Amino acid sequence: MGVHLLHRAALSIPVLFGVLLLGFMLLQLVPGDVAQVIAGPQATPEVIEQIRKDLGLDRSRVIQFFIYISRVAQGDLGYSMINNTPVIQELGEAIGPTFELMLGSLIFSVPIGIALGTIAAVNRGRALDRIIIAIAVFGVSMPVFFIGLMLIMYVGYHWELLPFLGRAGPLWTLDGLAHAALPSLTLGLIFIGPVARMTRTAALEVMNADYVRTARAKGLAEHTVIIRHVLRNALIPVVTLIGLQAGYLLGGAVVTETIFSWPGVGRLAVGAILARDLPLAQGSILILAVSFIVINLFVDVLYGFLDPRVGKR
Amino acid sequence: MSMKRLAMLATAIAGGLAMATPALAQAQNTLTIVREVDSDRYDPHRSTARAASEVLFMLADTLVSLDHDMTSIKPGLAESWTVSPDGKVYTFKLRSDVKFCDGKAMTADDVVYSLKRWIDPATRSPVRWRAGPVEDIIAKDATTVEYRLTAPFSELLYQLTQSFAVVIDKANVDALGADFGVRGFNGTGPYCWGEWRPRNDMRLRRHDAYRWGPPIYENRGPAHIQEIVWRIVPEENTRLAAVLTGQSQATQYVPYSGMAQIRANRNLRIVDNPAAFWTYFIGFKVDKAGVDDPAVRRAMVMAVDQEAISRDINFGETEPAYSYIHQTATDWNKAVDSRLIRTNVAEANRILDEAGWVRGADGFRSKNGVRLSPLAYGFTGSTWQKLMETVQGDLRKIGVDLRIQLFDATVAWGKLATQEFDMFGMSFPYITAGDALNLYFRSTNAPTPNRMNWKDSDTDRLLQTGMTAVSDADRAAAYGQVLQQVHDAAVWIPLYHEPMKVAATSRLAPFKAHNIYGCGFYKGLDLRFTR
Repeated sequence: MGVHLLHRAALSIPVLFGVLLLGFMLLQLVPGDVAQVIAGPQATPEVIEQIRKDLGLDRSRVIQFFIYISRVAQGDLGYSMINNTPVIQELGEAIGPTFELMLGSLIFSVPIGIALGTIAAVNRGRALDRIIIAIAVFGVSMPVFFIGLMLIMYVGYHWELLPFLGRAGPLWTLDGLAHAALPSLTLGLIFIGPVARMTRTAALEVMNADYVRTARAKGLAEHTVIIRHVLRNALIPVVTLIGLQAGYLLGGAVVTETIFSWPGVGRLAVGAILARDLPLAQGSILILAVSFIVINLFVDVLYGFLDPRVGKR
Repeated sequence: MSMKRLAMLATAIAGGLAMATPALAQAQNTLTIVREVDSDRYDPHRSTARAASEVLFMLADTLVSLDHDMTSIKPGLAESWTVSPDGKVYTFKLRSDVKFCDGKAMTADDVVYSLKRWIDPATRSPVRWRAGPVEDIIAKDATTVEYRLTAPFSELLYQLTQSFAVVIDKANVDALGADFGVRGFNGTGPYCWGEWRPRNDMRLRRHDAYRWGPPIYENRGPAHIQEIVWRIVPEENTRLAAVLTGQSQATQYVPYSGMAQIRANRNLRIVDNPAAFWTYFIGFKVDKAGVDDPAVRRAMVMAVDQEAISRDINFGETEPAYSYIHQTATDWNKAVDSRLIRTNVAEANRILDEAGWVRGADGFRSKNGVRLSPLAYGFTGSTWQKLMETVQGDLRKIGVDLRIQLFDATVAWGKLATQEFDMFGMSFPYITAGDALNLYFRSTNAPTPNRMNWKDSDTDRLLQTGMTAVSDADRAAAYGQVLQQVHDAAVWIPLYHEPMKVAATSRLAPFKAHNIYGCGFYKGLDLRFTR
């Protein structure tokens, strides 16, 4: 198991390097001039040039990249070009709220998705199965921004049940929980569909397995068979899916955070890219990539617990 | 767990969260204002964004202030001032009771430091020119400041009302260094720096010692509201919903489409300032083939239906513009009123026919091998996309094939400094005719912000005369002539004047909206909750 984990962790290093390189190159390709942005529309070319020089943007891109890499290796992500705050500080403040959103969305969407998938599998071919699959397809097809705006319009505005403006504090406070509810719901709704569909498929495969037939032959109650024998084994691909989808949650968080003014990394990244704040944009991309890698490592560990054969291979 | 228990649990959770909602209701005496974008920093000499000015007006004060009518100059930190007969020396007598947020008394030295920092080349202020041709700024004594110019600058008092001219604290600037306006700001304004979380919110707390508000307010200080939170909400529908539900109590950033909804809501009202000193227009590069023909420009201006733009795109919330600046702005030339070009498609077609621009098989006109298909640059986003497409449709009616290219704002300013395009979309705030004309029509300001390449010695001479005039009448006469000249030459297609409209909860006592640099709340001294 330990070797497996070490192997996976080692594989993450070239991935990280690739992310740094790609992120740097992509941001270089984005049109726009940060010096112009900082100087404003009424600035003279001399002022803009001086700002460019001050920021080191007049150096070659190769040099800029190697300076960036060496700084990152030392844990220095630089300073925001726009407001001169350390990038690491900005990211530190933003990553918590993003994980809160992810956690909030996973807490309700995973159990609901697994429950719906299991019910659909048990009722395969019946009306209930078709309804659940239709709901899952609907959930997957809905764009995040549409779900978010609908929730704001109905839950927030018409029914005035929940707030939707920003973050009010940590999740464990009532106010913080209330503010996190709608963005988490928005993010989670797109997650229910894939989990339900994967659970259904996996459960259907397992339901025909010999050991399930044996369990039934032993006279176990149907719900015991489903929960203890079918679901436990069907969960392995579901956990993988959750790990993979968590990355999409980070992507979805960009839109959700914008709609709900949630102060997370997604919104930080969008703002940084729009402002051509290169260190902050690169830092945001890096932290999102690292989060993705860490989540996948975590999934690997979990995989080992769910399927002991993994660690022994 | 039975279904019944599950339902009870779900109801309890939803109920608990819903009960938390009132707690979300703003803490007593905190005003949350939602807006679209944040500023990059709050350094008055380095930030030109409206988002910066909105906060800076509250954090700091200027020597003189601007009344709600957008034309009258009133006292500010200076209780009086005199101008020498040659218009080159302004002497400001300062109030003696002004204090910074840290309790330190403000003196003439602070004023001199602030204004000199603004014009210091090392500051690299993009708006240094607004301070005029400064010879020197001197503290004559603790409460007297002398502002010496090398030549008269008739716009000076108006420029000194802007957020670029606020008084700052040298010790604070030195202590914070590059973090000035990022981690703190010590001003003399009605509000003090609380906490800034870039791109999220800016918290201002009341300056309790404040007693020196401009006389345009009934309340001279301290402010009624304890805390103001400027919260960034990029999505316009979320901003609208925030105001409708009371999660924000005031904003000027409500989409036009939501105005009717706000008017229909008895808990909300619209506070407006009809002085619409923010104008949208499309300019021509007057030396580019096709649009270098004054007849073409005149016909194109005539083809655009400004009335329809305001009615259909802006839901009737803006004022159709036929003039380049609002007709109530200082130094507007009333003689130009009758010369403004009004929508008349038939006449526009006749002008082009007469000028020899012939329609081809595709319906578009050409002359001497030049096809009337100008390229227009503008900004991405729904506003300019809709405007450009509407104008494109209008111009097709007279055989002009407008091509459109829109750029993100961070790219657009650079592209708009080139000679690649024939027309461009723009909007701008101003206070006076001189403010707008000197910026856009001076030869020396080409290629930007004089993107029209308007180079006319008469215009330059008149602008210089207006700028250095020592009497209001002389200034108005000079600027009036420029206004007539550029309107007759059809250099812009004016689209609409944007009035200030603030959506506010009826819990706020009646207040007047301002419009200085497009800022609806200005110093916010009259903002007060009634319940």
